[in-house]
Amino acid sequence: MGEGIVTRTLLVIGHGMVGHRLVDQLRALDTDHAWRIVIAAEEHYPAYDRVGLSSYLDGKSKSDLTLAGAGFLTDPRMDLLLGCPVVSVDRTARTAQTAHGDRISYDALVLATGSRPFVPPVPGHDLTGCFVYRTFDDLDALRAAARPGRPGVVVGGGLLGLEAANALRLLGMRPHVVETAPHLMPTQLDSGAAHVLDRHVTELGLRVHCGTATASIDAGANGEVRAVTLSDGTVLEADLVVFSAGIRPRDELADAMGLERGERGGIAVDDLCRTADERVWAIGECAAVNGRCYGLVAPGYRMAESVAHQLTGQKPEPFTSTDTSTTLKLLGVKIAAFGALRPDHGHAVEVVFAEGTDRYAKILLSEDSGDLLGGILAGDTGSWTAIRSLVGHRPPADLEQLLLP
Amino acid sequence: MSDILIVGNGLAAQRLVERMRHHGYAGTLTVLGSELETSCRQSASPFSTVTPHASDTLGLSSLPTIHIHVASTVTSIDPEHRRVLAQVSGAEAAYSYDTLVLTPETRPLIPDIPGLVSAEGHLTEGVVAPGTAATLPRITGNAVVVLGEGPLAVETASALAARRGETTLVCATPQPLSTHLGETCSGMLSEQLEQAGVTVIAGKPAVRRLPGSLCLEDGTTLPADTLILCTGAAPDTRLAREAGLDVRNGIVVNDQLRTSDPRIHAIGDCAEHDGQVMAGLSATWEQAETLAEILTGRAADYRPRPASLRLRTAVADVSAIGSLADLHQPGTRLISLTDRANRRYARLALRDERVVAAVLLGLPQAIATIGLLHRRMERLPSDRLGLLLELPPRPASDNAAADEKTPICLCNNVSKQTLLHAWQAGSLTVTALAEATRATTGCGGCSQSVEELCGLWTRETRYEWEKAS
Repeated sequence: MGEGIVTRTLLVIGHGMVGHRLVDQLRALDTDHAWRIVIAAEEHYPAYDRVGLSSYLDGKSKSDLTLAGAGFLTDPRMDLLLGCPVVSVDRTARTAQTAHGDRISYDALVLATGSRPFVPPVPGHDLTGCFVYRTFDDLDALRAAARPGRPGVVVGGGLLGLEAANALRLLGMRPHVVETAPHLMPTQLDSGAAHVLDRHVTELGLRVHCGTATASIDAGANGEVRAVTLSDGTVLEADLVVFSAGIRPRDELADAMGLERGERGGIAVDDLCRTADERVWAIGECAAVNGRCYGLVAPGYRMAESVAHQLTGQKPEPFTSTDTSTTLKLLGVKIAAFGALRPDHGHAVEVVFAEGTDRYAKILLSEDSGDLLGGILAGDTGSWTAIRSLVGHRPPADLEQLLLP
Repeated sequence: MSDILIVGNGLAAQRLVERMRHHGYAGTLTVLGSELETSCRQSASPFSTVTPHASDTLGLSSLPTIHIHVASTVTSIDPEHRRVLAQVSGAEAAYSYDTLVLTPETRPLIPDIPGLVSAEGHLTEGVVAPGTAATLPRITGNAVVVLGEGPLAVETASALAARRGETTLVCATPQPLSTHLGETCSGMLSEQLEQAGVTVIAGKPAVRRLPGSLCLEDGTTLPADTLILCTGAAPDTRLAREAGLDVRNGIVVNDQLRTSDPRIHAIGDCAEHDGQVMAGLSATWEQAETLAEILTGRAADYRPRPASLRLRTAVADVSAIGSLADLHQPGTRLISLTDRANRRYARLALRDERVVAAVLLGLPQAIATIGLLHRRMERLPSDRLGLLLELPPRPASDNAAADEKTPICLCNNVSKQTLLHAWQAGSLTVTALAEATRATTGCGGCSQSVEELCGLWTRETRYEWEKAS
């Protein structure tokens, strides 16, 4: 510890990917060792790669997925309290109280509580045999309940829903996916790209039901899940149900602390992730930056880095970007959405290059300048990085060859 | 030289005669045409935008061996005795032939709507059926309703839009030409027609003609001083059928455009080749050319091109090659462009870089280029975006330089440059690069890219070493 430096305590509530990134970054930047760090984590495991969670059912172990290396866990500056949710905070006394009744004092507090899965209030949603898909514990429960050869229903055809359906497949079950929108992954994809995805996942054995809602979860004689009834009248036999119908920010501490919430939930913060209390920040999925929550890890990481800079007295980068580019490989299908897909002003020129349901590329060009605004790629398309680098420029003569080599 | 007798004096017959002359035919040609057809071809239509360069085909009588009997009505064909019976100026006449060419045209289809046809079988007051775009309809009154969904209906309505008075286009399909152009493109075409002053009432069948108006299924009554029927046409195959020729939808012909009687040929909108009646001017042109070659002793086979539609009206520039179903042929590459603000639309299906099917709107240069390349069965240039948008020639991408600073790892904002620096500093594996730069530790979407880069740099280094040693 450097001479003359008073050690202060940072309390981080939540040890997910973003909370971990904050601590990791702070340890790197805080060369003077000015901060002692206490992490109060609800789960019983140190931060892990939630984005790669599905691989936990595909041969990877908890330690394969952990983000906390040996250097992290043994760092003397840090206390990691696992299975230790915080239930209330006294901002005047600057203490937090855990579920075990312990009090933790802080000089700075960062809320990184993340999200919870949204379970739609359909009849039967709380029957035995209903699951969510977010944590190691959720997956352990799912694994224990899975019955090979039997059907299971995933409610929600977004990114997580498809991950969950693949998980059921890996567990030997026959998965159905129910999506209210007319096609899969409605947030990221248009119907053309979703078509590529749909064909591919259908070939893998998923049964996709789009454009219909879940009306009820029906119990059998034993009181457990037996079937799912859709709003179009279809009845799907099901031994279990996984809800992947979106997430909601874990913002309940905001009320307890008297902090403001965003209009659509989330702890209200400015573009430096500051709440109204100068000692309290919120980052990641629980934060509503200027009213908006971000459900991706990349914006969360940028928030974490910004706060780490602030805590170490360095110039932070304000969080302004609304770039929600996604690139991923989902059940073997490459998917990418980049740039602006819903132009603010008027129309854009829309150009599609596609080959059947094998590959699909849509780009949007500015109506005035002809510059590339953004695009959606699905299937066996060209290099994402090469294509993304064209955003903001006029498309080159070999654009089509870059998109569909 | 044998005697050739041509029945009909429409565009197919005119073109055939012209091409026969071009190929040096020196025998006798006799054309039996009706008065109506003659007057049709001489009337200058205000909207015959697809009318051929017809001027040089009009002076048929200038060749001494060509006899034209315009006021004749053919009553029957007698294949056994190789002669045709006709009424000429009220008298019965017989024409013998060695070779007979049938070029009957189509007759307009009159829809089964009460009030269109009088008890005597004539169209009622104010109702006209032009049959082809080359016919000038008799327009009276202020309000004109064009009934139909096809190219003729759109051409007619477009031409009438320029005049004073109300023009309404009524069709039962979701949009005019929607079966040719698909939903999006026909929707844009409708918008353009509306902008030009045509009221488009689509998806509503007409149910009754009253004097001065037209009633629709939904109860609407439209003022219609003149009602123009553009409701399709049917091949007129009566004579061929009565003569015992093989007739299905049209008069069946083989690759030599020969009917089931070896001395009788048929061309034009009534000929059915390979199960298809090839309506339209370009098919008629090709058939006339092929038959002229055959009849002048050249080896030729008729090979139909995919049906194409070209509509060049003052209102919209539209082209369709092949059918809508062809746009979804397996194994083709689809290219589509939608520019709603400027009403430009393109949808192409390509195989081996060649056009299989296309729908184009508001892209005159692309329509011309693509149409030409399609007719010649040639490949499209590789820059299809430039072709469609009429972009000036521009450079190809230079990836190596362009994407140095573009993030490879989105989650952690790691550029290719950063990765390269880390690699040069000794992180020579994906794991080491991940440790040094955090790339791949977010969503993992960039793992493949990082692996590729790592592999590339490793190979490059090995090559450097080998060069050095």
